[in-house]
Amino acid sequence: MKEKDAYIDYEPQQLIMYVEKEDGTFGPIQTGSYITKNYLDDFWEKMLKLKNSLLEQLKKNEITPIYFYKLIHDFNDVELARRTGIPVFKVKRHQKVKSFRKIKLSDLHKYAYAFDVPVSNLFQAIVVEDNENKAETDVSKQPIIVKQTRTENPFVVITKIEVNKK
Amino acid sequence: MIIESFKHNMAAHCESGTLTALLKHKGLEITEPMIFGLGSGLYFGYLSRTPNLSFPMFILRTKPGKLRKKIAKRTDIKFKTQRFKDKDKAEQELDRLIEIGIPVACQVDFYYMDYIPQWERVHANIHFITIVGKEGDEYLVSDSYYPKLARIHKDKLRKARFAGGYLAPKGFMYYIESVPESVDYKKLVPVAVKNTINNMIGVQPPFIGVRGIRTFAKKLQGWPKLTRDIDHLSHEVMKINIFLEDQGTGGGGFRFLYATFLRQASEILNNNELDDMSKKMMEIGDGWRNISYFAAKIGKNRDLGPEKLQELGKMINERADAEEVFYNELKAVVGNI
Repeated sequence: MKEKDAYIDYEPQQLIMYVEKEDGTFGPIQTGSYITKNYLDDFWEKMLKLKNSLLEQLKKNEITPIYFYKLIHDFNDVELARRTGIPVFKVKRHQKVKSFRKIKLSDLHKYAYAFDVPVSNLFQAIVVEDNENKAETDVSKQPIIVKQTRTENPFVVITKIEVNKK
Repeated sequence: MIIESFKHNMAAHCESGTLTALLKHKGLEITEPMIFGLGSGLYFGYLSRTPNLSFPMFILRTKPGKLRKKIAKRTDIKFKTQRFKDKDKAEQELDRLIEIGIPVACQVDFYYMDYIPQWERVHANIHFITIVGKEGDEYLVSDSYYPKLARIHKDKLRKARFAGGYLAPKGFMYYIESVPESVDYKKLVPVAVKNTINNMIGVQPPFIGVRGIRTFAKKLQGWPKLTRDIDHLSHEVMKINIFLEDQGTGGGGFRFLYATFLRQASEILNNNELDDMSKKMMEIGDGWRNISYFAAKIGKNRDLGPEKLQELGKMINERADAEEVFYNELKAVVGNI
């Protein structure tokens, strides 16, 4: 790849690419990400569509929060089982609406840890309308920020809703 | 405590970048392409039956950790590696090493590197970073994929070092104990290149090497049946671009990095034939880059009918043909060194 063809002007995501330089030598250049520069909007659109579709199913009690987060994090059952330490057969069971009613709090805690959310988020969806109509779901750019702070109690989290001052 | 003498640089790939930075810090002048080539990092594998994967994927480099192991085996570089069961002990040992001025490479789940833009972060237990300091509750991180030194909270780092799942890091970390005064490239280059040739055209399972590239082209035609909807298929097809270009490959699925290794090897060994091979590898990389552009375009346009996937498959098969010819030629060249 020639240096002039490789350079992408995109500051938010930089990477190193090896190219053929103008003097014929091969070496690294720091450049931007081609796919992020050109197709990031499409990525956010797909993510938002997926989230909204799953949320609708969640509201209708057709799926469980475990299934919701499993898809968001792109885990399959085996990977989720390994990350939580919960056997695969139980992971499968916990994705069924009827079985989810009987789930243990200790198992919920393991799922929340693997999904990197507070346990309380397995029972609620925090929706900020100002943010929702935007295809872009980059948290740092949203007008309203939802900040969740953990406490010493593993089951209690403080949720604060703030205006993004950036 | 900050190890001021450590020089942060971005690199094409996290594992070779981390290794190169640590070696340079220890006083051994070596380049990232040389580390990648001497460690026989170039590879191809199409993984469709790995139980932990939610969708088939392809890999373009050897298994994480193998690069370092091969470098250790082939040179006199001495590494000290550690794994931990106890999270507190892992943190204490890391702090101790930082305190005495030793930069430490850690294996982490990339998802928790919260200084990286949100859209890039995926769960992958195969990321390597170098810890070069600690201030209060924050560690200073040299990450090959980030332009400057970053900071990460100790709780996040702990979570990243002990994420479960496929290739779980289990607190793995390493540092360099000693480096030799020089590396015998004349001896090592042929050994490393032959290893790569064997990985690509030697006796391997059908999903590995050049045969693996052909398997990928064939299996790609069945992807629509594996996806939930057109958006899911588009997402997976566009990931071809990410795997080839953005996930630390140096572009063209590591082929540009390998071409640079061959160029550097040709200069060290004063071998014109290797130089010719480096140019050919650069052209092979250009072909892979065309594939990544094409995948991104048809994915974005949702133009993912059988004809387009066949066209993409054809482009991938052409790479397999080109690489097969290339490695056979390289075999002859390296045989004469």
